[in-house]
Order: sequence, then structure tokens, then C-alpha cells
Amino acid sequence: MRHSTIVFGLFILHLLPSYLKAQQPLFQLQSARATGIRFTNTINETEHLNVLAYEYLYNGGGVAAGDLNNDGLDDIFFTANMGPNKLYLNQGKLQFKEITREACKELEGRPESWKTGVTMADVNGDGLLDIYICYSGKTTTELRRNQLFINQGNLTFVEKAKEYGLDDPGYSTQAVFFDYDNDGDLDMFLLNHNVKKIDNMELARYRNETDSLAGNKLYENNDNHFTDVSARAGIIQNPLTFGLGLAIADINQDGWQDIYVTNDYNESDYLYINNHDGTFKEDIQHCFRHLSQFSMGVDIADYNNDGLPDVMTLDMMPEDNRRQKLLQLQENYESFELMRSQNLYQQYMRNMLQLNNGDGTFSEIGQLAGVSCTDWSWCPLFADLDNDGYKDLFVTNGYLRDYTNKDFLKYWGDYKVKKAVDREPVLLMELVTAMPSTSLVDYVFRNEHNLTFSNKQKEWGLDKAGISSAAVYADLDNDGDLDLVINRINEPAAIYKNTAREKDNTSYLSLKLKGKPGNTFAIGAKVYVYANGGLQYQELNPGRGYLSSLPTNLHFGLGTARQADSVRIIWPDNTTQLLSNVAANQQLSVDYAGGAFTPSSPLPKSTLLSQKKGIIGYKHEEAGINDFKRQPLMLFMYSKTGPVFTKGDVNNDGLEDLYIGSDYSKPGRIFVQQPSGAFAINNNTVLDQPDGPTTADAAFFDANGDGFADLYIARGGYALFEPNTSSLQDALYINDGKGNLVLSPQALPDLSACSKSCVRPCDVDNDGDIDLFVGGRVIPGKYPVTPPSWLLINNGKGEFSASPLPVKGMVTDAQWADIDKDGRKDLLLCGEFMPVTLYLNKPDGFSDKTSEYFEQMPKGCWFSLTLADVNGDGQDDIIAGNLGLNTPFHVSEKEPAELYYADFDGNGSVDPFFNCYIQGVSYPFVSRDELNDQIYPMRRKFSSYRHYADATMKDIFPPDELAKAARMSITDLRSFCFVNRDGKFSASPLPLEAQFSVITKTIADDFDHDGKTDLLLLGNHSDNRLKLGSIDASYGCLLKGDGSGNFTYVPPAASGFSLAGDVKSAGELTIKNEKHIMIGVNNAGIFLYKVQ
Amino acid sequence: MRKWFLGLFLLCQVGYAQQPAADFRDHVQPAVFALTMVMLHDVVNPPAASRFYAYSLAGAYEIVAINNRGIARGSSFMKSSPHVVINAKPGSYNYRIAALYCILETGRLMLPSGFMLEEHQEKLLKTLKKEKVKTAVIDSAVAVAKAVALQVVNWSKSDNYGRLSTRLRYTPVKGEAYWYPTPPAYMEAVEPHWKIIRPMIIDTCDEFTPLPPVPFSRDTTSEFYALSKEVYAVSLHPSQEELNIASFWDCNPFAVSTAGHMAIGFKKITPGGHWMNIAGIAAEKAGLDFDRSVLVHTLTAMAETDAFISCWDEKYRSNRIRPETFINRYIDIKWKPLLQTPPFPEYTSGHSVMSTAAARVLTYLLGDHFAFTDDSEVMFEIPARSFSSFMQAANEAAISRLYGGIHYRDAIENGQDQGKKIGDRIVEKLKKAGLQPLIP
Repeated sequence: MRHSTIVFGLFILHLLPSYLKAQQPLFQLQSARATGIRFTNTINETEHLNVLAYEYLYNGGGVAAGDLNNDGLDDIFFTANMGPNKLYLNQGKLQFKEITREACKELEGRPESWKTGVTMADVNGDGLLDIYICYSGKTTTELRRNQLFINQGNLTFVEKAKEYGLDDPGYSTQAVFFDYDNDGDLDMFLLNHNVKKIDNMELARYRNETDSLAGNKLYENNDNHFTDVSARAGIIQNPLTFGLGLAIADINQDGWQDIYVTNDYNESDYLYINNHDGTFKEDIQHCFRHLSQFSMGVDIADYNNDGLPDVMTLDMMPEDNRRQKLLQLQENYESFELMRSQNLYQQYMRNMLQLNNGDGTFSEIGQLAGVSCTDWSWCPLFADLDNDGYKDLFVTNGYLRDYTNKDFLKYWGDYKVKKAVDREPVLLMELVTAMPSTSLVDYVFRNEHNLTFSNKQKEWGLDKAGISSAAVYADLDNDGDLDLVINRINEPAAIYKNTAREKDNTSYLSLKLKGKPGNTFAIGAKVYVYANGGLQYQELNPGRGYLSSLPTNLHFGLGTARQADSVRIIWPDNTTQLLSNVAANQQLSVDYAGGAFTPSSPLPKSTLLSQKKGIIGYKHEEAGINDFKRQPLMLFMYSKTGPVFTKGDVNNDGLEDLYIGSDYSKPGRIFVQQPSGAFAINNNTVLDQPDGPTTADAAFFDANGDGFADLYIARGGYALFEPNTSSLQDALYINDGKGNLVLSPQALPDLSACSKSCVRPCDVDNDGDIDLFVGGRVIPGKYPVTPPSWLLINNGKGEFSASPLPVKGMVTDAQWADIDKDGRKDLLLCGEFMPVTLYLNKPDGFSDKTSEYFEQMPKGCWFSLTLADVNGDGQDDIIAGNLGLNTPFHVSEKEPAELYYADFDGNGSVDPFFNCYIQGVSYPFVSRDELNDQIYPMRRKFSSYRHYADATMKDIFPPDELAKAARMSITDLRSFCFVNRDGKFSASPLPLEAQFSVITKTIADDFDHDGKTDLLLLGNHSDNRLKLGSIDASYGCLLKGDGSGNFTYVPPAASGFSLAGDVKSAGELTIKNEKHIMIGVNNAGIFLYKVQ
Repeated sequence: MRKWFLGLFLLCQVGYAQQPAADFRDHVQPAVFALTMVMLHDVVNPPAASRFYAYSLAGAYEIVAINNRGIARGSSFMKSSPHVVINAKPGSYNYRIAALYCILETGRLMLPSGFMLEEHQEKLLKTLKKEKVKTAVIDSAVAVAKAVALQVVNWSKSDNYGRLSTRLRYTPVKGEAYWYPTPPAYMEAVEPHWKIIRPMIIDTCDEFTPLPPVPFSRDTTSEFYALSKEVYAVSLHPSQEELNIASFWDCNPFAVSTAGHMAIGFKKITPGGHWMNIAGIAAEKAGLDFDRSVLVHTLTAMAETDAFISCWDEKYRSNRIRPETFINRYIDIKWKPLLQTPPFPEYTSGHSVMSTAAARVLTYLLGDHFAFTDDSEVMFEIPARSFSSFMQAANEAAISRLYGGIHYRDAIENGQDQGKKIGDRIVEKLKKAGLQPLIP
């Protein structure tokens, strides 16, 4: 006893120091007294210079870090918008000395000017970092000319912008030096912005204009003289430009530098892909599915360690409910459509994290990753802050005047009226100071190594509110971890010391590259570090983030590794150098050695699937109806169901034929397969009319037992259809024995009460004829009132009557399977706000036995059910496609999403209110404007945005009204594989890549011929509420099965599969005895892939 | 600045205290103006504003009519009327206090920020007490007012306003001839289903369908192009007088001005609110007593309401493109109208229809040559303007839309014609009901 006590005591003593360190946050804010950095970006607002006069007044100042005197310590330069800039010499140990005036008096910037970004780069290739300062502001041209300070080598500088041809007078945000033409010297991209927002959206003519002050510029370096080559290079220079962020990277890994430019307001961001001939192609709409709307800073880095650069753009979406309600813009579908029609693409107000798929496409997964809402944000930086081998994410934010506050908008009007009444002059400053200041806490997210991040604001010690602008990371004290430097408005710049090494004794490797003359710091080099069995990838491009310029050395955290097994450097001239067994914890300097030339793009590998064009020429056209005009508070639209197809052999020639449903411009048709493998339209059969009833699903089956395939067409759609009218009545077409299909008008009972989702033929009563399940999706105009579903019993002659079925819910999909092995097929179905449900089929009827067969069955927003044997035991397993995790909603058993509905105001319309937890409280999704439009008396209840901002359902409705409302819920949004193990289903969520998007269809097959079932998951759902935005991160997700119910993601480069858009139909089709996968994409067409 | 104006904003008590206790005639206008200020705060759109005025005054009118046999009950000329029943016997309560209070009480119950009127109600009661009106008299009148206001609110519930939100939301009609949201805010169309609102006096929304608009054409020799060109040409070299007229009748309740992320709303009184002011100015100038002042205000509000219902029916029948959109697309991309284009289709001009209808009714009641000075816009730093008659003011309001660059000439002229027919039908019904001109 005594002995053990002593041992225990010793143990505690031993642990104490590290325990204490573990309790300290990762970052420690250093005092100005300790660092000697007493810089503040002070904004003095006056009656003449305020945000009403200059809208970019609070965009903040820049910061650059770099070793100006080559003493191994990174020095810091801050720009102040109005006051003097300051240069600080790093003296080691986080102590700095201000040397601005000694270095060059003009470094302080021109008096009365407006200074913005700052860049350190060796512009003249002499091995010393020079300083380039940008100017903007509504001042004179002369006050706005950017300055270039050439480093004289003795910590003094001489201003030479004019001599170098870089004294540009534009409204500049930031400049970046990089080698765009691979000629070995550094050229410059200058990011500019307009100073007057253009509200008029008839943009065509603005696009052709060149605005030399607002448009961005590319300058080519010819022996230290720079020439504007923008026009020749294809740089967009129109007055719509509002450049706020700029990052350079080799996005497509072809050995040439590409450029990402963010634009504030309406203009979409630009992605300039290098054409290798001195020109660029703007290609953003090809690579990305949607963009940040009010894009601010941008960073490009490989955050998931797959060797491909990913893109992060920032916007203004707050994380908390209150600020969302106060600031969020009203959904305006006309504006959104107008922007799309003006080629402004799909833009939403939130941060976007674009994951590089390696095939030229990106999946935007910011919501899944947990980084989409960081409020009014400026500077994103990917950096491994905890040295664990994965890049974390730091984001600055804050705004001096919160003029997006919607109450303020109305306040201004009242203020003017009040002043007029009081006969007092309107004072802009009175108005300016009435705007609330938005002091925010910067965000820092830890990379969880699984594509997601977790918020570490508190744990890592970055919990002080402020108004932060530019930021850089740098190992200022050379202790092996990255410190943070943040330029702030109206308070001293923050220096955060990183204690990662002290705390956790982590390893690192810092690389300093010495490039060839002309590009002495090897800007544009790529470094691959292999350690601990993993890969890390960085590109040396210091101009990233926002108004900021990073040091020229590359920092890699190595976690517990004691060495990097190898380090591969691809120099800017695309030659490779390989270092092996590089010891950790050192600052390694590597000189250019001139190794072998690296081929720019990887050799094409063989893939599992390959697209086949030209077999079925079918383009799908969507009418473009907006369902939210009918019920604005739904989450999704229901009109878009096409293209619908189904296969069957209509002429009994042994070849699979197709029915393809009608669309906006074409009727439904039978496509008959010819022996040649071509498909010919059967002109005798026109099944449904263009722009008529909507086809939701179809199935071939032999209804009358004559041995020929008949066709059932289920009607769906939403916007313009009324329940109980003929446009919602399903149709049965009987085969005339010659492959022609003829309507059988009396075959079906009245099925027009709702819009349908699916039809599933099956002989449910084992009487030898085929019966049907027809799933009800939604009642047009009455969402989310439960629609009926039907069991249709066949009398053997192809005439059907409805039989009772206890199904409740908005059904999206169903399958028949004999789960209890009694010889009768049971019904599995799924839908919105319901569990995947099992109805056992017994002679006395169907009954819900879900809980007996499923260990765990969440309520989801399910879109699809697929049966497949994933573990090879001969039993049906279930792939259930859900909404996925890449949405604004976070739900769980404990914090479910809830939908309340009732006709609260008794005006004859259903009022549905979706609620979701945000930071621990369930809030309604509906905005104050939407609520007021839905229930007019609410205008009286919540007379301001502030009054509504914290409201929950209990504040909106009294308890008795709330009690009358119907309720539905969702407890999980993940897609699952339910594996049948000895008659019971165990739930396992599909891998994270499968949760990027909605799964609307799944094809199960052995694509890699290893004898195990693989899955091809298809989906997306673009037609949602604008607040939700387009859900479109899937290009088809191929999962390789291990034969026991586990799956791993196969990237598109290996799968060969990449298809953008909303998949509405999918199946396998045999053409000339070869297996093909057939996929219908809404408003695009039908695509075929051949299984290799 | 006018006395009522000061009275309301600086010291309401002063305004009330100056009046002899017996009549209360000078309290009518301030009560109506109090509604205007709440609507200004709430940014109530023009058709909805006219409806709020009409309902807020309907109860007061009935109280007056029940107590003054010279004034016809609403049921004798209205399409539907509140059928107000007052349990207290005439003479047992001060009906003028009741009517005054009823204006504020109905507004309080119906307007989004109706609570703001509680302050006015308290001030009114305080003033009455100061004027030595007995508490019992006040109490009985307030009780009547509250009962009548409830009856009015109940009656309002059957006018389909509550059903507006159940209708299919408006989608701009596809095609180059049709209205599309306009800069800078590209706001959604305002009240696309307003035609379903029950009119006050006229029978149906489409009783006075105007002539069809000049057909759309991009052909530079077409009539439509000429109409657009006229709007454009007027804007290039406007005279000072044209500028004054345009801004005087702007009456845009929420013109949005953007500066970067900031969108600032400039508020003004709606066209209907402006004509309510004119009614107040005229009532005072004519020296009308309390009862007749209520009558003038009420009939002006009802004429406005019907004018908007009729006009909005046409707006969403023709769905015509605004000059700003046409000119930007086909004449000058950078052109901006002097006034901000309001967010609804162009044809016919609401101000033209409504001003004309109201002016016809006022002319009937107060005479053809009723000169007055209108200082309604002084609070927005726009000087007062003088007019020799109501129709002159209405004509100026109508043509102001051309000067402002937001309407074509045919929408103005055909709108005036529409307004005239509405006004004349109302007058016809008033005559039938035995309501004689107030100034013979």
C-alpha cells in the first residue's frame, strides 16, 4: 500500500510539467512591450472620409514577413491605411526593432494617401528581398502610384517603381511576384478593384470595357523592366472588377503557374489557367460548381495531403444564428437568375473549400469540413500550426462598422426623416457612429486528418475579439513552429507565439530553397515531403491570404517522425531533386542542383470505367420552373425529375430497349436497340407530351401476362399541378405484341392525389401476376402534408385495384426483398423526414417491423434505396442514400432537425417551418422577411430584425398553436450501408467522400473484377432554397468494396468517372453484349460509361 | 411649417391645447398623419398603405355617420361596409372623441408597428384631460372607439388580404416585352395579387380596365420606341421645373441606395399618404368641421384604395417593361432614371390613376377651383408647391412620372383616364347615397 502510494506520487510529479504545458493554449499573445512591435492601423473617420464616402475604408492593412538581411530571421513590414507603415527588424527571441525611417523614409508611405497590400520579393534577382507597396483610395493618381523599394543590402532601401515600370496608379489591393512564363525571372500580377459598385446588371457592355484603374494587370519582367501584358495575356480588366484576394498555384499540376483572383460583389472569381504560351484561359466555371459571392481572401494549398492544391475562399456568413438572422440577405430568385443569365455563375454568401479532385474538377465541401461560416472574414491561411503533418486553417475577421445589419438599413431612413422633422442637418458621422462595430474572434481550425476541421479558437488561445485584416505565419523565433502576425484596425498588431514544440515535442522540417539567378528564392517550386508513411505537399508561393506576403521558407510539421524519408523538390524550371532520409527538426537550405526534368502531367493510367459517346443522342431540357413561388418555405424543389428512363425488351428480340420520358421540348419515346448496338426511336409510340405532365418514374413489366413488356409511367412534378387532376394520374401502356405501346385508360384506379416518386413491380401475393407499389412524394401546394402511397393489386388481366398499405411519409424510393425469408417479398422504403422503413408482407397485410430488423435506424432525408450483396453472403444488403453532410444543417439524435407544420394563420395555406440546431439551440430556418410573407400578422409580432434574431418556435407561436402543429424530424443526414448479418441489419455510414452530396442513385457491381461488390454513388441536388445553395460536390463517387461491407474511395483519376450535375436516373444497360452504365443528368442528357 | 406638422412632432399637446374642446376638427389630420409616420417606419408599400388608411378611417366615419344624420352611412355607397353597431346610445358618448380614437386604435390593431400609435393615443387622452374633458366622457368614447375598431378589423379580414400569401408567387413573364426587376436592388414585384383585394366603393378590380398599352417593339421607327425615346430625351436636358415636379411627387416609400455592401433605404411618404395630406390641407383651408373633415379624409382614402386595386389589376395584366430596362438594353446602358424605378410593372402609372381618382372625389366635395399649397414634402427638403385646383395637382403628379423617367406617356395618360373613371363612379355612388358637395 505504502509502496504504491509513493510510486503514484512520483508518477504525478513526473507528469506535472507536461500537464501544465498541456493546459496552456497553443498560442500565446505577446505584449508589445516584449516584442517591441507597437504598430496600429488606426482608422480616423471624419465627415469627409468615412465608409459612406469610401466603401473600402475598413478593409484593413497588409503585412509581409521575410528575411530582409539574410540573417536567418524573418522581419516584418506592416502597412497602415492612413498612418505611417512600419518595418521591424527581427532581432531573435521574438524581439523586434523598428527601423522604418533608417531603412528609407519613404517606406512610411505617402502622407494623405491610402495604403493597402505589401509584398516582399526579390524583384531584381539579386538575392535580397525587395518591398512593393500598393495604394488605393479616392485620391489623386500621384498619391496612388504603387512603390517598389529595392533592397540595397545594408537594410536600406531606394524607391525605384518608376524605373522598373511598376509605379501603377490603379486602385490596388495587392501584388504578387511569380514566374508566369517560366523564363526564370519574376513577373508581377497586380490585383485591383473598382471604387464604385455597379448596380445595373445589364453587364454585357461593361464586359467589353477596359478600366485601367480598376482592372487587374499582369506585368512581364524583361531585364528588370516590367511591361503591362494584360491584354495580350487574356487578363479581364473590366470595371466590374473588385479584386480582394489573389493566390498563385499550379492548380492543374502541369508545371505552369495558374492564378486565382477573388472578386467582391456580383462579379465571379477568376481562375486563370496558364496556356504555356504567355496567355491564360479563364476557366472557373469548368473547374468549380459554385463560388463565394462576396469573395475576400483566398488561399491555395493541399490540405488533405493527396498532393493536389485545394482552394479556400472567404465570405461573410456568420456562424451563430443571431448574426445570420441580422445580416443574411433576402433570398431573391430573380436576382439569382439574373446573375446566372449574366454569366455570373452560381455564387452564395459563405466560405468555399474547393477540394481538388485531380481531374480538373473540384468538390466544394466547406460545410462538410466545418469551415463555411466565419463571419466577415478576410485572410485564410493553411498552415500546420500544431506540427502534426496536416495543414490547419487560420482565418482573420471583423469589421469596424456593421452596415450590413438589416435594422440599420431602416434606421437610416428613419434618421433622415427625424432630422428633417427636427430641421437639423444630416451628419454622416452621426450615422457612421450609429453603425455597430463588429469585433470578432479570429477562427482557427485544426485539421482532423479526415477532410474536416474542428474549431480550436478557445483551446488554442485565439479567443480575443478584434478587427483583424491581413495576417501571416512565420517561425519568428526559429523554434520550429509557426507564429502568427495579424494586422488589426484600431488596436496593436497581434503577435502570437506558437508553443507546439514546447507543448508536444513535435517534429518539423523547414526548407529554404536557393534558386537560380533571376528567381533566387525559387518562387513556384514544389516540395513533396514523405514521412510517417504519408505525403505532404507545398508550393512556394508567398503571396496568399489577404494583403499579405509570407516568408520564403517552407515549414512542414512532421508529428512524431524523426525524419523525412524523402523530400522531392520540383524546381521552378521543372527539374527534380530528391533528398533521402532528411533529419527532422532542422532548417535545411537546399541549393538548386539541376536534376532531371519532370514530365508536367502524370501519364494516363487505365481506369475502371470509360465514357462512351455517340450511342444515345439525347439531350434533356428542363423547363426552369421555380417551386418556391408556390411554397417558399420548402427546402427543395420537386419539379425536376428528369430524365427518366427504364429498360425492357419491347419487341422480344433479346436486346434491351429503352423508354426515355418526356421533357420540356420532347415527348416520351421508346428507343429500340438494333443488332448493331444503335438505338432507333419507335415512331409509332408517343407516350407522353412535351411540357405536359411530369414523368417521375417508369417501369417495364408484363401487366397482362401476354409475354410482352408493358410500361407504367408514374407522374410527379410540383409547381403548376393541382392534386386530383388528370396531370397527376399515372398511366399504363400495354404492348400490342409488336413493340408498340398503347394507353390502357381504365387499367388504374384514381392515383392523382399527389405527385409520385417511384413505381416498383412485384408479385406481392404470389398469384403469378405482377402487382405494383407506387410511392407518393409530395402533394403539390401542400408540402409537407403526408401524401398517399399505393399498393396496386393486379387481377391478372392488367387491371389494378388499390389495396390498403400503412405507409406514411413523403416517399422517395422503395425496393422489394424477402427479408424474413417467408417466400413473400417485403417492402423497404425511404423518404424525407422518416426512417428507412421495412414493411413485412404477410398474408394478412403489411406491417412496420423496422425496429425488429434494424439495430439502429435514424430518421433521414433519404433519397434512394439500393439492394446489393456487399459481403457476399447471398443476402440483400441496403445502400441508403441520404442528404449527406455537406449542408448547413448539423443534426443528430440529440439535436434533430425538426419540421413543424400547420395552417397557423388559418388562411388556407400550409405553413411549414424547418428548425435546426445552431450552437446548441434549435432555431427556425425561416428569416424574418420570409416569416412575414408567410404569415402577415407576424409583421406585428416581430417589428425589427433584432426582435426576431433570437426567436425560436416557442417565441413565434403560443403553446396551444404549437401543440396543434404536426411535427417531423431528421436525426441523421449520412448515407449508410445496412448490412444484413444473420437476418438483422447493422448500420455503417459510408465513407466521408460519399457524404459530399445527396445520393439519388447507386449502382452496385464489381467494377474492378476482384469478386467483391463495389458501389457507384450518384446524386447532387442543385434546385434548393438559395440559403441552402446548390448541393453539387459529387461527380459520381466510386467506392471499392472489401467484400465484408467496408468501402474505400477511388478518386476519379483511377475510376475514370466524372459527371457534374444532378443525377435523376441510372442503371445498367447491355449494348451488344457489353455492360454499360447509363446515367440521366437533369438539364444535360444521358451518359454512358463502359465497364472496363 | 404647418401648424399640424409642428403639433405632431414637437409637442402634440400644444396642437391639441390650442383647440376649443367642442369640435376637435384640427385633431383629425394629426391622427391620420400619425398613421403615415408608422407606415413610413414600416416601409408599407403604396397599395397596402391606401388600404390601411381606408380601414383606419372607416370606423371613424361610421361613428360620425351614426351620430350625424346629414352624413350617409357607408353601406349606402360602399361595396361592403363594416355594419358598425354601437351599443351606447347616440348622445351618451362624445362621438368625435370616439371617432378620433378609433382612427388610432384601428391603426394600432392593423399596422405592423401599430404599437407606435399607443404613444399618440396616450397623448390624445392627456390633451383631452388638460382640456378638462371629464374622465367619464373620455372613457365612454374610448370604449366605443375600441368596440368599433374591433368590428372594422373583423370586417377587414374578409377582404382577401390574408389570402395574398397563399397565392403562387410572381415570376416575371418571360420575354423582352415584359417587366423584370430593376436596379439597384432588383426587388421582387410588389403585391402581384393585389387585384383580389375587395374594393371599397367600386364593384370590381377590372371595372375600369384601361386601353391596352402601346405594343412593345424594338424597331426604332415604332410607336413604343418613340415613347421610350421620349423618356430618355426628357431626362437628358430637364428644366429645373421638371426636376422639381419629379422629386415633389416621387413618393417612393423605400428608394434603395447602395454603397458597396451597404444598402441604404431612403424613405418617403407613399402616393396615397401624400394625398391624405392634401385632404388634410384642404379640410383645414375649407374650414370644415370635424364631421366633414373625417368625411373628406375617409372618401379620399377609399378612392385611393380602389384606384390602387384597379391599377394593380392592370399592372399584372400587361406586365409591361419599365423604361429603365428598355433604355438600358436598347438605347443607353448607363442611363439611370431621375427617380428610382419602383419594383412593379409599368402600366398604368399608379400615381396617375390614384391622384386623378382622389382629385375627382375631392373636386366633387370641395369644388373645382380649390386653390391650395401643398407642403407635404417639406420634411424631405422639397419646397411646397401651390395649385389652383385638385385636378391641376393630379395632372402634375401624373406627368411627374415622365420627368422622373419611370413611366411612358401612354401609361400616364391612360392611367389618368382610368383614375377619372374610378373617381367619377365613386362620385356617382356618393350622389346616389345623398352625399352632397360640402362647398356648394
